[in-house]
Amino acid sequence: MNRTGWAVLGGAIVLTAIGVALTFTSNHENTPVFTVASNLMVAWSFIGCGIVALQRRSDAHFGLLMSAVGLSWFLSSLGESNNAYVFSIGSVLWAVPLAFFIHALLVFPRGYLETRLVYGTVAAAYGLLAIGPLLFTFFGENEGCTDCPENKLLLVDSQSGANIVGLTFIVVGVGICASTVWVLVRRWRAASPPLRRVLAPVFVTSGIAIGVFLAAAFVGAVSARVSNVLFWFLLVAVASVPLAFLWGLVRTRLARASVTELVLELGQARDGNSTREALRRALGDPSLQLAYWLPDRRRWVGPTGWDFDMEAESAGHRTTHVEHDGEIVAALVHDPSVDPELVSAVGAAAGLALAREQSIQTVRQSEGRYRALLNAIPDLMFRMTRDGTYLDFKGEAADLASSPEELIGSNARDILPADVADRLLEGIAQAIDTGEVTTGDYELTLNEVTRTFEARIVRDEDEAVLIVRDITEQKRHEDELRNSRVRLVRAGDEARRKLERNLHDGAQQRLVSLSLALRLAHSRLKDDPAEAERLLNSASEELAQALEELRELARGIHPAVLSERGLSAALETLAGRASLPVEVTAPDDRLPPAVEAAAYYVISEALANIGKYAQASAVEVNVARLNGRAIVEVSDDGVGGADPAKGSGLRGLADRVEALDGTLAVESQPGVGTRIRAEIPCG
Amino acid sequence: MDTLRVLIVDDHPSFRTTARALLQSEGYDVVGEAENGVSALRKARELEPDLVLLDVQLPDFDGFEVAARLTQNGSRIAVVLCSSRDGSDFGPLVSQSGARGFIAKAELSGAALKAVLE
Repeated sequence: MNRTGWAVLGGAIVLTAIGVALTFTSNHENTPVFTVASNLMVAWSFIGCGIVALQRRSDAHFGLLMSAVGLSWFLSSLGESNNAYVFSIGSVLWAVPLAFFIHALLVFPRGYLETRLVYGTVAAAYGLLAIGPLLFTFFGENEGCTDCPENKLLLVDSQSGANIVGLTFIVVGVGICASTVWVLVRRWRAASPPLRRVLAPVFVTSGIAIGVFLAAAFVGAVSARVSNVLFWFLLVAVASVPLAFLWGLVRTRLARASVTELVLELGQARDGNSTREALRRALGDPSLQLAYWLPDRRRWVGPTGWDFDMEAESAGHRTTHVEHDGEIVAALVHDPSVDPELVSAVGAAAGLALAREQSIQTVRQSEGRYRALLNAIPDLMFRMTRDGTYLDFKGEAADLASSPEELIGSNARDILPADVADRLLEGIAQAIDTGEVTTGDYELTLNEVTRTFEARIVRDEDEAVLIVRDITEQKRHEDELRNSRVRLVRAGDEARRKLERNLHDGAQQRLVSLSLALRLAHSRLKDDPAEAERLLNSASEELAQALEELRELARGIHPAVLSERGLSAALETLAGRASLPVEVTAPDDRLPPAVEAAAYYVISEALANIGKYAQASAVEVNVARLNGRAIVEVSDDGVGGADPAKGSGLRGLADRVEALDGTLAVESQPGVGTRIRAEIPCG
Repeated sequence: MDTLRVLIVDDHPSFRTTARALLQSEGYDVVGEAENGVSALRKARELEPDLVLLDVQLPDFDGFEVAARLTQNGSRIAVVLCSSRDGSDFGPLVSQSGARGFIAKAELSGAALKAVLE
């Protein structure tokens, strides 16, 4: 028991002794035993309730008021005194306990006064019950008491004065009672079911007490004897109020016994919803909400894993955090009238279960995130045993070697070709044994299409997880790239061979002949100058032709006009040397050198092919720059029918253009003509 | 010494003309010209030259192949290979073909031929 409780107890014992002594020594008390018994009943009822309430921090204020009711109840014992002065004081102070009572009633259960109406009612009660009896003693003697000492506070012995005071007392008292009842009714109507369970006993007993009080007051104005009888009823009614409050506490204690049942229920709870229902039953609060704290995500989630809006849900409610091992695991959002100590007891009992469910929620959230991540990965995934049994998979049915329904539980040897299954199982064994990622690729025919897959196998304890990617397109691109590189290298080699041959067969031969002719001319100079001159003339022609052939060769290697004056000028030169009319349209501004070279060779090769095969009468060459790409078109009106697959020339051009990330398209309808279109990014 | 009868085999007409003029001015008797391997073999049978001046790069046959055919079965025809390329480009092929030797075209002269034949 706390110090306040001990102080109240000590005071109560002292006042009890005084009250008993005064009553039993009173000259004007006809039923001392009954009076002492009834006073002790009422006073100790309130004092006991007050001391119990004082032990609970949430009810401390209410406890003080209840204790005040009980302790001040002994003031009425002053009226038993044979001393006129003490008697007179007792006549004034007898109603003070009622003021404390009304105050306590209006403070219950929150412990504080809320509205101005409530404040006013309490103030009026203190005023009336302190001043009223005082005024009454100013004007009248106690009618029903013949042996009572003299009223030392009497000012004027006036029955009418006393009647007026009495009437005023009644009117104001009725007003205070009406206001009190109004406040209590409003409180009742606004109360939730748990709160009503707490209010009901106290309100009922208080209501009876107030009713009896009013009746006694009304009747007292007419008949003091009836009023005295009603007064005893009032005492009983008033004494039952603290018992009603204690009953509420007992119910709470009984509710705490249900904590044991709660622990058993929580052990069997299937999910968060079951847990929440068990908590609702334990606390008697159907409005209770349960939230779990996820420390990694720093947010609250409800029993089903959805986000919990703590701010919105806790409006009008009280939030009690549940801790386990010093960490917050959950929160109970409940009716504020639920006994806080019961909530604490429930929270402590449920801590372990709630911590376990918090872990489950955390894992579920992680699982949900990982599943979302996994689903975002476009690859096939399998979980398999060492012996090749499929345990789980993620992926599209069209990518599987068997139907999804048949896959789980089946073995790789039943579904895949033998060689593929062997390699897969080898890879799985290696991954499990070494713990390292094993990769390999294989081909499978699915829906009559042969596809290439790359599998990455990782160990998952004694199982394997396979991530399988369809690399058919990638492989095709790689093969195409490799082939294109081979073609480019071969084309380069072929060009060099051609160059060597051209040099050998052309300029080199001429220079050899020139050398011999000069030697011959030299030997003839003395004896046959005419022959020498003839030989020298011939040598001069030979030299001129050799030079021309060398120029042609140089142009074939790389036309100087292209580097020096740009594509437009180089195309005009090409057109000038062509064997048929060529109309050229090209921009004057320069393109990147690699693009100009690619465009030049496309057009040069196209013109050469047209000259050899197309039997055309005219050619159009168009070069334009559009959206960051160079568009090159060569169109002729010849016989058409060109097939890029059949000629290495066009294939070589396509390789050159594709090496710059460009495209080459050939349209060649027989009898219509041919159009070659290259698009090359200019960057 | 008897005048050597020479058959010139080369696919470049300008060289055949110049070589003929050169060899004739140095006392050789150019009895014929051929522009490829097939006509070289035919004319060698017909004309029975003492010497065949044979270009290595012919349009139909490899010059070494022609040389081997000309010198097989104990034939007394002497074959001298020539080319506008350097002799070192051909390595042991010259000696393996049955030819007497090799002369670079730019260095062709009566004296060079005589040196190879001796």
